[in-house]
Amino acid sequence: MIYLDNAATSFPKPPEVLKAVAEALAAPASPGRSGHAPALAASRIIHKARKNLARLLGAPDNSRLVFTPNVTWSLNIVLNGFGLKPGDHVISGSLEHNSTARPLSRFQREGQVNWEVVPPGPDGLLKPEDFKARLNPKTRLVVLNHASNVTGSLAPAKAIKEAIGDIPLLLDAAQTAGSMPMDDYCQWADFIAFTGHKGLLGPTGTGGLWIREGLDLRPLSVGGSGSRSESLVHPDFLPDALEPGTANTHGLAGLAAGVGFLLDVGLDKVRDHEMELTQWFLERIIDIPGLKIIGPGPGVKERVACVSVVLDGWSSSDLAAALESGYGIMVRSGLHCAPLTHQFMNTMPGGASRFSIGYFNTLDDVKTAAWALSELAAKKPSRA
Amino acid sequence: MDQDGEIILVFSSNTRILNAEDLLEEKNLPFTLVPVPKEVNPNCGLALCFMESSQDRIMPVLKAAELMPSAAYRRLGPEFSTWAFE
Ligand SMILES: Cc1ncc(COP(=O)(O)O)c(C=O)c1O
Repeated sequence: MIYLDNAATSFPKPPEVLKAVAEALAAPASPGRSGHAPALAASRIIHKARKNLARLLGAPDNSRLVFTPNVTWSLNIVLNGFGLKPGDHVISGSLEHNSTARPLSRFQREGQVNWEVVPPGPDGLLKPEDFKARLNPKTRLVVLNHASNVTGSLAPAKAIKEAIGDIPLLLDAAQTAGSMPMDDYCQWADFIAFTGHKGLLGPTGTGGLWIREGLDLRPLSVGGSGSRSESLVHPDFLPDALEPGTANTHGLAGLAAGVGFLLDVGLDKVRDHEMELTQWFLERIIDIPGLKIIGPGPGVKERVACVSVVLDGWSSSDLAAALESGYGIMVRSGLHCAPLTHQFMNTMPGGASRFSIGYFNTLDDVKTAAWALSELAAKKPSRA
Repeated sequence: MDQDGEIILVFSSNTRILNAEDLLEEKNLPFTLVPVPKEVNPNCGLALCFMESSQDRIMPVLKAAELMPSAAYRRLGPEFSTWAFE
């Protein structure tokens, strides 16, 4: 199998991750709830995950980094807990995933907020000045998908933050955390939401959120925290305030190991490897007759390792099926939970076929994929 | 000289106590983690424990890292008393 669906979830996971999850599963795991040795060991596992992620994002205070089941949950904690009021104005980029677009659309439909989308420039990239131009006295929050899970284009997040000044920036780092150096991000971002099972190489069911000092969120759910057990009032300090219920110790053991692996390898090296394969792939496929790259082509540096294509005569799903059955290549077809992006890219409703490269892919993998695409371009689907 | 009691520090969150643990371990200071004594505090989880005679080495380190406890006790044999810390 050639796995090129790392934007959905990364595969394989480093052996360290498998080992860490297995070891955690073999022990009692009730972090922060009891005083005995196994409970302490479970707490230390989670603490390790917190420290590793704080290092990855450059968070000065690891207690402001909270764990969640996935980035969708993290984004919803912010969007629903930030205290948006009727009449508030929220700006987002145009390459949002449904995990922000749906909550924002719901607020909009329910008359709660006025949501404005910044379209990409003619080159498909977002421009900081377009965010600044839309600010008004009611603007409370700017939401930004750091990198599109369809086009792969990377938003100029820091420049956008500079352009919007004091307005808090919520960054959806689903496609970037673990795939590029981000150890200065806590110096300028306000909320960074991430998921554990993609670039961070952890198990599904893990994710998190970093919150700048001075920003408060009302928890979506409250309950047991292991702290202040005598009180009926849920704690208001982080991370406990946003981590009700027993944590996913087994998953976080794997996440700690995945992030530890990345820190050992070095995020520069991960980024260089992924970009080398991506650029090679883009250069090889750009001349395939009838093939269109949805998003930035070869040479553009502001991108991540995810490349979507449309091939004449093929639906995105037939193409994905032919890649799997003929070549053992796994890609994702359709709309990738990002209808807004496909709208802007004029690929509705058929979507595109997406090749997403991870740290463990090799040049051979992308060579085979490029070769398969050129062979299929010369054929028509057997159903047609 | 007064008898050397045990100082027990309770922190608001587990993360704070584990950060305190990292810090004290880094500096090779003598302490242990113990279950929060239910005689004095209803919190679940762990407390930081050290001998009173080490307080001058430990407390300034915690203070410098803004890792102050939410409550503190002194234990001498079976007797607990609240401990005022700086
Ligand atoms: C940009 C982006 N945001 C959010 C998500 C949602 O991730 P999760 O399903 O882990 O919450 C994804 C991936 O599916 C994504 O690519």
